[in-house]
Amino acid sequence: MSAATAGTYSPAAAAGEKRRERKEELRRHLAEDADWPRADGRSFHDCRPALQLMQTGPTTAASGSAYAEFGKTKVIVSVFGPRESKKAMLYSDTGRLNCNVSYTTFATPIRGQGTDNKEYSAMLHKALEGAVMLHTFPKTTVDVFALVLESGGSDLPIIISCASLALADAGIMMYDLVTSVSVSCFGKNIIIDPTSDEEAWQDGSLMVAYMPSRKEITQLTLTGEWSDGKITNAVELCMDACSKLCDILREHLKDASSLAE
Amino acid sequence: MAAEAQATAVGGLAGEMEVEAYRRLFPLAFLERHLRESVRPDARRPAEARPTTVALAAVSSAHGSALVRLGDTAMLASIKLEVMSPSGEAPDEGSIAVEFHMPPICSPLVRPGRPAEVAPVISKTLEDILMSSGMLNLKELCLISGKASWLAFLDVYCLNADGSLFDAALISAVAAFTYLEIPLVSVGDDGRVFTVGGNEGKAKYELVNREKRKLTITNVPFSLTCALHKDNVLVDPTAEEESIIETYVTIVLDSSDQIVSIQKPGGAVTSMATIKECISLAKDRRRKLREILMDSVEAMEVEQTD
Repeated sequence: MSAATAGTYSPAAAAGEKRRERKEELRRHLAEDADWPRADGRSFHDCRPALQLMQTGPTTAASGSAYAEFGKTKVIVSVFGPRESKKAMLYSDTGRLNCNVSYTTFATPIRGQGTDNKEYSAMLHKALEGAVMLHTFPKTTVDVFALVLESGGSDLPIIISCASLALADAGIMMYDLVTSVSVSCFGKNIIIDPTSDEEAWQDGSLMVAYMPSRKEITQLTLTGEWSDGKITNAVELCMDACSKLCDILREHLKDASSLAE
Repeated sequence: MAAEAQATAVGGLAGEMEVEAYRRLFPLAFLERHLRESVRPDARRPAEARPTTVALAAVSSAHGSALVRLGDTAMLASIKLEVMSPSGEAPDEGSIAVEFHMPPICSPLVRPGRPAEVAPVISKTLEDILMSSGMLNLKELCLISGKASWLAFLDVYCLNADGSLFDAALISAVAAFTYLEIPLVSVGDDGRVFTVGGNEGKAKYELVNREKRKLTITNVPFSLTCALHKDNVLVDPTAEEESIIETYVTIVLDSSDQIVSIQKPGGAVTSMATIKECISLAKDRRRKLREILMDSVEAMEVEQTD
């Protein structure tokens, strides 16, 4: 079996040529036109709908969990604990937050690319660390595990928002919900909540993780080509979208708790 | 006997204790107290399985997928097809590669870098059952004899572990194969196989597999796990019941009620009569599961014609 596995390839990847031409054309539109309907029909500053598609409690075995579906991107986050820290850990007055992000083997178009994502794990940790009241669970660990069922673009921001919803569901004390949104830069345009195709063609990207009630940014990453004015615009756009997303999450948590009563 | 003595000993204390605390401190006594009334902690009868649902095509990036819920246990199976050169011994056959995953999200017992012990066991059993039940005809996965055939990667992810994992994994695997959509492919000038959309490329290259878009699934295996505790047979145990009871039997039957496999790993001695009882329970369960799968396939077809 293993010998045969080495010689396989995905027939979709070999299809190529025609898609590449279409890509170039779309890219031109995104970069130059004032507004152009995107592949999924949104305009440049529309996020994918989140209203119906964020839920708490898919994983009953966990202390808290949340599921998020934005377009094709589907993510489950489970929170365990606070529970005993690993034996090897030294004594600590404050609690620990342990994050792990992994992908299913079928999440990406080509099978089995990066099932364990160390970079996203570290970034998720940094984005949440500032929001969780670590001193409320000394000596113990809260584990935040994310599994990306399907990757359809803006994975990390969705993981972060979903994780903060799961933490709230688990009843972990936080200063505020953390929500996160990313934008892609195309020529003179800024496009919010990019799909994976758009992410593949972008000139640059910006991701903001934000605590709307406290008006504090927990994480900001910027890559690629940007100019001063555009960065300011993009950050404001992200912060605005984060606030709106946070309102949706908060409504959802209220509904869930009133249902439980 | 010892357990019963313990149950009576704590009886006085139990009167003053909260139910939830009693459940955690004396799980065995708690379970036995229920069983004396022929009911289980989750209000099921001993021979009653949990409600089961099948949702097909749950993942759009896969060629076939299914999300199965068995009570609180959730299982996501997905099949991705890749092209390979068939082996010399079987030039006109494709093959399948089965993997069962328990990611850390599914249970508090699994941590990253420390995978669950049961995962490889379930993985292997699942592969054995799929291959030996005769459900799949590997010749249908052939594209060009001796040159190219499909390798089907079946990945089953446990999203929430609440007992009877193998049963749920098998249902999801079977459902994913039932609804597998094989892409249309052609052979390019370089001899490599590539996918073609509905309209493009129809004149340029000849299609290889115009007729072979679905697998014919003839013999569908389904399984039932029974936990055995003294004289009680508990069908489809939850994780809580599995943690208390040591003995369990898994029975796999095919479409004509022929036994594909019986497994009883360790535990207490069991009489043949009990095994027979389990087999007859498995027959009933198989019929129900078949109906559930048929219904979900029909629902999917209605959705597509709309």
